[in-house]
Amino acid sequence: MSDDTLLPGMDGPDPDVAAAELALGLLEGEERALALRRVLAEPGFAHSVEIWRTYLARLFDLWPEMTPSGGVLARIEQTIDAPAVPVDVPVQRRALLWPGIAAVASLLAASLLLVVMLRPISVPTAQPPPKPTAVVAPVPILVAAIDPDKSGVPVAAVYDPASGGLRLTEAALADANQSAELWIIGADATPHSLGLLRTKGGTVLTVNAANRAQIAAGATLAISLEAVGGSPTGLPQGPVVAKGMLSQV
Amino acid sequence: MTDSRPAEPIGPKTDPAAAIAARAHLTEMLLKTGDEDRQAFRELYQLTSAKLFGITFRICGERQAAEDVLHDVYLTIWKRAGAYEPSRASPITWLATIARNRAIDWRRAQTIRRSSPIEDAPPIADSAPLVSDTMVADQDAQLLHGCLDTLERRQQDAIRTAFFDGTTYADLAIAQNVPLGTMKSWVRRGLLKLKECLES
Repeated sequence: MSDDTLLPGMDGPDPDVAAAELALGLLEGEERALALRRVLAEPGFAHSVEIWRTYLARLFDLWPEMTPSGGVLARIEQTIDAPAVPVDVPVQRRALLWPGIAAVASLLAASLLLVVMLRPISVPTAQPPPKPTAVVAPVPILVAAIDPDKSGVPVAAVYDPASGGLRLTEAALADANQSAELWIIGADATPHSLGLLRTKGGTVLTVNAANRAQIAAGATLAISLEAVGGSPTGLPQGPVVAKGMLSQV
Repeated sequence: MTDSRPAEPIGPKTDPAAAIAARAHLTEMLLKTGDEDRQAFRELYQLTSAKLFGITFRICGERQAAEDVLHDVYLTIWKRAGAYEPSRASPITWLATIARNRAIDWRRAQTIRRSSPIEDAPPIADSAPLVSDTMVADQDAQLLHGCLDTLERRQQDAIRTAFFDGTTYADLAIAQNVPLGTMKSWVRRGLLKLKECLES
């Protein structure tokens, strides 16, 4: 960390202080990206972040209350009752719907962190976790919270452009007679399949060279329910049940 | 739905037994919300919206934005209440965490950096509340406040400001007019000391 060189004698950040810094919200940019990646890759670090979050939550006691305007609850209920995006759109029209979905499905980094913190983390650890002292990646990682249309827990996704690796938390979306298929909708506004999500536990995918070109901040990740084994046509045939926009952290 | 004041708002409790009962009731309302019980959701809103609006207002710094964020917060609560696990966090902690993170999302998305505290938000109490004033009157809260009190004043201030105003290292450094590296080392030393105290 170049800033620390200003202070001789100050060692690099203690790993557990990084957990506190993330829980407190002090980090931004690459430092935040690195810490978020560690939350997904290192269960011990994620646990430390949660312990700090629990400690700091005691401060909520001190927060003064303020009464919001009277109409807020009515607006919330109106939104809950508003019809969701129709899922029975004819196949030939579906491609036209994607850019619209992308425009409304934005969730930023703090919400992603929330997804990770408010649910048990279940990400496969097939790859060794990055070393805590790893040099910050030159290319920013991208994150998305893929939010279900119906009530349910979002799927957190973290993409590392350096390796092409895409990690996702568990998606409890498909039943035994379906496969949940992940799609990227990027600059060409056409869904490209990234693969199927595991039925239990998180999923790690390696994105192929053609699809890497589609992955950028602002692109949408979407999950559709397909016949077991995935869509045979290369385009989603089943309903889109969750989506979220990729953003830099 | 009228805008009547809740019969039993979440707030200072003078009686620890009443605080425990209020927490149990709030847990029940949150779990019922997870089952899409709309009446329970409305009651949850009446019980908690003043607390959560206090959070979004302070971090967003303007009423309209804070109400828009509050709207999103309760939609998130409606959709995710089914994932709430009472064994992992108290209901108010779970709800307040969502409000704080959503408000920070909003703040980070703004292009203008605000480094000074907003003026019309109610002040944060400067010292630890009495035991009987905490929402959940437990020893952990007293431990945290006691440990924060052992830090240098500037470390306490930076940690409290980061928590209550949703500020980053860069915001804190600008507000205090010190180099970023200096602010980081103050806060890191403070956090290490806090950790030591909390774990001792």
